[in-house]
Amino acid sequence: MITQQLINGLMIGSLYALTALGATLIYGILRILDIANAAAYLIGAYVGWYIYLSTGNIILTFLGAILLAGGLGVLLQKTVYSPILAKPQVIAIIPLVASVGLFTISNDLVRLIAGPGTKAYNFSFPVESYRIGGLVILPSWILIFALTATLLLILWFILNKTKLGLAWRATAQDSEIAKAVGVDTSSAMALSYVLGYGFAAAAGIMVGILYNSITPALGEVPSYKMLAIIVLGGLGNPFGTVIAGIFIGLTEVLASVYTQIPIPKDAIAFVVLIIVLLIKPSGLISQKNKT
Amino acid sequence: MKKLLGVLMTLSLLMSVTACASGGSAAGAASSGGSSGGDSNTPIRIGFFTPESAAAAAADGQSARQSAELAVKIANDAGGINGRKVELVAYDDGLDNTQAANIAEKLSTADKVDAVVSGSYSGPTRVAAPIFQDAGIVMVAAYAIHPDVVNAGDFIFSQSFPGSVQGTAGAKFAVENLKAKKIAIIGVDLDFGKELSKYFKSYAEANGAKIVSEDYVAMSDNDFTSIISKIKNLNVDMIYSANYYAHASEVVRQAALQGLKVPVLGTEGADSWQLLQTAGEYANGLYITTNMNRDDKLESTQKYIEEYEAAYKMQPDMVGASVYDAFQVLFAGFESVGTGDSAALRDYISSMKDFETVTGKLLYYTKSRSAVKTVQIQQVQEGAFHGFAVIDDSKIIDPTNY
Amino acid sequence: MTNYLFSIASNVAIFSILALSLNIITGYAGQAMMGHAAFFGIGAYSAALLTNAGLNFWLALPACLIIAGICGAILGIASLRVQNDFLAITTIGLNFVMVALFNNLEIFGGSLGLATKKPYLFGQRMGNREFFFLAVLVVIAVCFLIVKMRRSWFGIALAAINNDEKAASSFGVNVSQYKILSFILGTAIAGLAGGIYSHRMGFIFSSDFAFVISIQILSMVVVGGLGTIRGPLMGAILLGVAPELLRSASDYRNLLYGGLLVLMVRFMPEGLLGDGSPLMRAFAKIRVSLFPKKGGQSHG
Repeated sequence: MITQQLINGLMIGSLYALTALGATLIYGILRILDIANAAAYLIGAYVGWYIYLSTGNIILTFLGAILLAGGLGVLLQKTVYSPILAKPQVIAIIPLVASVGLFTISNDLVRLIAGPGTKAYNFSFPVESYRIGGLVILPSWILIFALTATLLLILWFILNKTKLGLAWRATAQDSEIAKAVGVDTSSAMALSYVLGYGFAAAAGIMVGILYNSITPALGEVPSYKMLAIIVLGGLGNPFGTVIAGIFIGLTEVLASVYTQIPIPKDAIAFVVLIIVLLIKPSGLISQKNKT
Repeated sequence: MKKLLGVLMTLSLLMSVTACASGGSAAGAASSGGSSGGDSNTPIRIGFFTPESAAAAAADGQSARQSAELAVKIANDAGGINGRKVELVAYDDGLDNTQAANIAEKLSTADKVDAVVSGSYSGPTRVAAPIFQDAGIVMVAAYAIHPDVVNAGDFIFSQSFPGSVQGTAGAKFAVENLKAKKIAIIGVDLDFGKELSKYFKSYAEANGAKIVSEDYVAMSDNDFTSIISKIKNLNVDMIYSANYYAHASEVVRQAALQGLKVPVLGTEGADSWQLLQTAGEYANGLYITTNMNRDDKLESTQKYIEEYEAAYKMQPDMVGASVYDAFQVLFAGFESVGTGDSAALRDYISSMKDFETVTGKLLYYTKSRSAVKTVQIQQVQEGAFHGFAVIDDSKIIDPTNY
Repeated sequence: MTNYLFSIASNVAIFSILALSLNIITGYAGQAMMGHAAFFGIGAYSAALLTNAGLNFWLALPACLIIAGICGAILGIASLRVQNDFLAITTIGLNFVMVALFNNLEIFGGSLGLATKKPYLFGQRMGNREFFFLAVLVVIAVCFLIVKMRRSWFGIALAAINNDEKAASSFGVNVSQYKILSFILGTAIAGLAGGIYSHRMGFIFSSDFAFVISIQILSMVVVGGLGTIRGPLMGAILLGVAPELLRSASDYRNLLYGGLLVLMVRFMPEGLLGDGSPLMRAFAKIRVSLFPKKGGQSHG
């Protein structure tokens, strides 16, 4: 039985990892906490639903939603976030407040345009479930593992094997020096948002398929839970975030099944965070780049 | 000193601004002929509030609002109440208790409504009830089942079975019809889930069944993978799903996908087209306790379902049906005693007997103004809700027994 | 009618207290406090539990202020260990954990919420009007407190810390002590607002103190003007009265609210009435043209 729960936790953790990657990439470059990343998650799920409804093609669904979300991210970065950060004397909470405003707008737009009722993907897998020994593995879980691994591989490749990735890492380390030596910091920032919002959109579609339901409130929990995960994983550290995501997924499952604490599953991430920070103020995994 | 002046200035600015704002609407209400009196030309004004703009509650808010508007439209198309048109004064409370309090104050003073229907959840309804009670205005709570709502006073009525009735009826069905002996309870961690589970457990355990597991899940959490995995190992023969449609849908889906083949009994929270849509074929076989019987032969029930689907292109659900009925109760009251005398309306409603509604026959109201109705057991068959059984044992359906 | 006005007004007054108190922590001390509603809730539930146990309302108020302040002190001490970005998330987390406790522990009424007894003033049951005046008195008291604080060593130290923490520390300013003090002050006052709120509403629910409320309070401060007294007041009035004025557009309320936030933060981050905002500069110009200086000092 515990093996089954470990698999369950791993599955949820991978989903969290995928969802949180966007927020950590953005923090790595701009040093801001972007709650609006969950807007990409929500919009990705809905745009994906419309595309799937009209075309029935799941690849197109993912590609279309990721590209749109990525584009939206770059748009917001250029029109809202960068101008805010360019002003002198910016207090840390100002960009956070802006991201909350953007997230609120997107929630309401989705509700007004798509309607408040639940929508179902009705994506059917060739097999309903896999039984191995006494264990159950659903094909949607395999899709989550595969998708997360693939996107992580793509991320690793971009960051480590491309010039743009090098620019990203340089900008994340120290954006002023990077700019001074001629690194294309502006493209690096755009990359953060394209990847960050794109990944969130993919995660949104994945969740829509997993539960066969999307509503305008889809992004509410991920918006703040992902922030807890990226802090645990070391702000700006993509691979630390993955580990933190999986860790939280496992903790949520094991704590809710095997203990009786009066805290709902969704608050567990924060409890873990508070405990970790009290013991180790720099987080579970230290930040990759300190400024 | 300048700062203090600033403070006082801004505060007096506030007072004058709000005075203007509400002075405007008070004047508006007065000129449209606020309806104390019963003059045959003045409209009957019914206040209404529902959580439409809050993303988490918007679907129910929409269902409630649509049913309210339909009820008023059908009444007006039939010539109104004793020739007087019905006017809906509807507000959105955003699922915010402070908003609800302001709205309740506004409805009971500036808007001069003749009665109110609450189309909202327990929090806003609970907060609004004492305000209407103090103002002497009748309020019918359509589907909020917080036990303290009707305790606010003799002008406050509840249209839905309380948790005690529904939970116990569900347990009776589980024990007698489904012959369940080892039951797992999965509930939402709001008052809805906790109340229903409490009474379900009490009756079930007193009648030979054992509750082997009890889990409460936050509204925002949609993942039931680990709970179903856990329950699979406990050899249960039934699951009681005391939650709303999103959760009930996931319970049913996960149970089917993970190979847990036991009957699932849901509640009126699951009574929605949204569950049918997201659970798809996995919903077939699901039982629910609810108030609306889709197969009801009664003409008014079928008419409501038809007109709702025609007007809004979606099927009505428990929330909408309850709201519709709350209006029917008020209409019957106004038809008999007119407007202008809330005490008479209150007394009329208190003594109603065997009133036909789209959610079954309203047998009577208890002394604490809770509606007594038979509990419908519906089952999902071929993707739609159908009548399956009825619980009408008066020991169970009369809330004063608890 | 007057009940309706006083309902809105007392709510605005309570949120003014909250906005002013948050401003102490975020505006003056520069700490990222994103979970202010948690202390609003701690005060609300403490006062409710005390009066339900029989304590006089007028004694429960200072008690809930102290309780919230003690919790704030704990947060303040903890905040010393973590840097600002972490602090933001930690306070969000604290907010969620408190709401979860309010919703799940029986002592707080659990998911059924907690009913409160309406207190008596001079033998009369207190209504919206009495709560409004009470809250206004507290607002005025808090404003005086902040004015005194700004002119004191505490205030000057906070300004120095806000500007450059390391430099302030090198000048001998006891950064830790002042940070903790600002947390205590801000949270205690928020707790007091909570005590008033729980008795005005007659019934409190865990969701009354959710993260979204923290954001509402923060928005009032940011929209009005961080680091001023008039700013949070303006913000509280604007965002408290707006839902009533915009009832006809209530379906778009969240859209407008989000839009306002983004526009303000993008184009006027100092707030409507913040130092140096276009509105304040316009006021100054008007004042100068109406009362031209003769070479002496103008009163401030």
